[in-house]
Amino acid sequence: MIGELRRAGGGGRMSVEEVERELARLRMGEDGRLGLRASVLNLIAVTGEETAPRVAEAVSRLAGEHPSRTVLLISDPAGADRVDVRLSAFCTPRGGGTQVCAEQITIHAEGAPARHLESIAGPLLIPDLPVFLFYTGSFSASSPEFSRIARLADRLIVDSSSWDGCGSAFGAVAEVLSRPDLPPAGDLQWATLTPWRTLIAEMFASPERAGELSGIEEVEIRHAPDGECRALLLAGWLASSLGWRLEAASGSPPARELRFSGPPGGVRLRMEPAAPGARLARVTLRSPGCEFRVSRSLDRPEARATVSRGGRVVGESTAHVGRFDMSAMLAEELRCRGRDAAYERALGAAVEVLGA
Amino acid sequence: MSGVREELRDALADERRIPRPPEPAAMVIFGASGDLTARKLVPALYDLAAARRLPMGFAVVGVSRTKMSHEQFRQRLRGSLERHRAGGFSEEVWESFSRSIFYLPGDSRRPETYGELRGLLERLDAGRGTGGNRIFYLASSPSLFSPTVERLGEAGMSREGGGSYVRLVVEKPFGRDLESARRLNADLLRHFREDQIYRIDHYLGKETVQNILALRFANGIFEPVWNQHYVDHVQITVAEDIGIEGRGAFYEEAGALRDIVQNHMMQLLCLTAMEPPVAFDAEPVRDEKVKVLSAVRPIPEERVEEVAVRGQYGSGWIWGEEVRAYREEEGVAPDSATETYAALKLYVDNWRWAGVPFYVRTGKRLPKKVTEIAIRFKPTPHTPFARAAGAEPNVLVIRIQPEEGVSLKIGAKIPGSGFEVGSVNMDLLYGTAFLEEVPEAYQRLLLDLMLGDATLFIRADEAEAAWSILDPVLRAWSGAEDVPVYPAGSWGPAEADDLLRRDGRGWRRP
Repeated sequence: MIGELRRAGGGGRMSVEEVERELARLRMGEDGRLGLRASVLNLIAVTGEETAPRVAEAVSRLAGEHPSRTVLLISDPAGADRVDVRLSAFCTPRGGGTQVCAEQITIHAEGAPARHLESIAGPLLIPDLPVFLFYTGSFSASSPEFSRIARLADRLIVDSSSWDGCGSAFGAVAEVLSRPDLPPAGDLQWATLTPWRTLIAEMFASPERAGELSGIEEVEIRHAPDGECRALLLAGWLASSLGWRLEAASGSPPARELRFSGPPGGVRLRMEPAAPGARLARVTLRSPGCEFRVSRSLDRPEARATVSRGGRVVGESTAHVGRFDMSAMLAEELRCRGRDAAYERALGAAVEVLGA
Repeated sequence: MSGVREELRDALADERRIPRPPEPAAMVIFGASGDLTARKLVPALYDLAAARRLPMGFAVVGVSRTKMSHEQFRQRLRGSLERHRAGGFSEEVWESFSRSIFYLPGDSRRPETYGELRGLLERLDAGRGTGGNRIFYLASSPSLFSPTVERLGEAGMSREGGGSYVRLVVEKPFGRDLESARRLNADLLRHFREDQIYRIDHYLGKETVQNILALRFANGIFEPVWNQHYVDHVQITVAEDIGIEGRGAFYEEAGALRDIVQNHMMQLLCLTAMEPPVAFDAEPVRDEKVKVLSAVRPIPEERVEEVAVRGQYGSGWIWGEEVRAYREEEGVAPDSATETYAALKLYVDNWRWAGVPFYVRTGKRLPKKVTEIAIRFKPTPHTPFARAAGAEPNVLVIRIQPEEGVSLKIGAKIPGSGFEVGSVNMDLLYGTAFLEEVPEAYQRLLLDLMLGDATLFIRADEAEAAWSILDPVLRAWSGAEDVPVYPAGSWGPAEADDLLRRDGRGWRRP
């Protein structure tokens, strides 16, 4: 977390005007100077009681990277009707005695208000700034409650790994994407793949290696125990980018063996979780003469890419792949505006794999 | 078949989250044992490697006269990297990156060096997949620029072939006056085409400087008032609180005019005054900058006194600390007339800026470190408020450092009965809106260089045009023995205040 956390006292049910007034008061420093409000976006985070602490921690850490007004909605539709508002600001000192504050409005909504979250979040959004909706749990795209709050947003962010199975998460997101009245969507699990995809693309960037792409015959994805959704999206990305068509799927999930047509002779793709206790995740692509591998020790922030020919390493690079906590993944997703065509193609291919 | 390969390769990289990687290349740094390589170039390359922006087929070859092995060179860079680079140091990244670093001891003036260099580069092409692409980086003493280029040319190493590129990077100073700049350009162009030459002024690699263009050309509200109809005058300030930091010998030869005005300040002037380029590409941007420099009213040598002021800092106090005078600094002559402060009044004689003075000033040992461009607008033609004495004309300040942002001074009603108007500043700090890590200037420029994007590099005519403006001032000042002294910690000599006072104006306090 960057800067100083300030919390307003009290809580309970407040009017929108009271919320705005109290937030302005929180921005005021001890010297009476009003801190600048820095906002590049609105973030609505919807979560349940159980995951609320983790989500609250993640969104508060974002204040340092994506200054925003965050509306954290902790929802319990089964409870008795109640709305409780808590306010906080994260203020960072800047030069010249100024300070900059990002605001967080935490609202517990229970009972009927929890079914109309849009009526609570809507009036609190800062005008003229994009709205991101981070929906942390599962949802049905066709439910009126979900649709109403989703329509407030310019972009929906989900975390498919938090669902019971990637299939239901991917299916729900695919339905959102098919609905013109709902916003484009992204997935934290896709965000974590960016450095991996960059390293894979880089291995084939030179003209003499690009040719190997059309000869890929085998792919292995060894993923972290909680990385099944990521692995499926990575497989979907490779298949959709390189024009591979799914022919057959076998194995017992999460271990899968897929056969694709496309290149001469087809492609065999195996994915499986690393053995318990293993500290390595890796992706290996093989053509008749070459092996391309990106691997990462799970306790290290770097990944290593190697190109081997005849068993000899002929190219290598090591780069940072970043952090993979919820806050870092969310920060990556918040950089994306509008539709993410590569993700949507990868998701489509992953849905096909799961349906095969 | 090659079309299919490229299509497949591009398919993997064809999306916005995966940045375009540069082509494989070998970067040869002449003067590799110097400060620039260790402090700036290698840390920037290391950061690019860590950020997944270097091609896998990449190598750095350091060349200098110091006898060193590859491993000794690597160890030396590593030590410096750990001391100087922003952020952490990763053993894993270094281990992988350092395997791409090589060293060749040799005199860049001797032809034999180039035979050995060619051999090494060919071995790297084969062993590290550097693809035949070459970047020759002149980080050596400026006196070696021309001989090095001559030897490269004689060795046939400036020629491109087989789809590979050869690029030449030249660090500032680009000459020390118009004549030497022309001579240097002629030497470079004897063996390299202009589009192979990348003249680097790291100032342009700063995000904050590029933001001037974003402010001007990504916001429609400024353009209608960005001209002589609305702007009274412009003040550009590049102030430093530090002295010469042990660089006495260098500074005695340079002075503020050569060190800052000819390059950094002229760039700020260009970015402030230029017309919108049709695209943010090398030629359109540089064309527009050259047009500004060409439109700057020439300063007749006999009238330099009227439009230019120089000064030299004496002893004084800065931030509670007593500091010594320039002439007492190490490596400085006790009777030195080198200017540590320069202020000029310039006019850009074109349709947009006719009659609008641009006051530019730079100095060392001023009260604080600040770089800013202040656009002072004309006052309202008439005020209906009887008590509007507190309201001043609007000023838009583009702050470049230390706190990057924009500040607009506007008139506002002072709360209470009656109608009293006062001025208030509306501040926006860019850094508070985008807290993303800002890349170092060299990181950005080296990446652009490898991608072949020359937008943020100086073209030959640009460097010469900047010298053309300042040449009469340099000549006028070269003979003078006396230079006005200003106390360290002040905003410059009294003569600089007079420069504006004669026009009924004053310097702003940044």
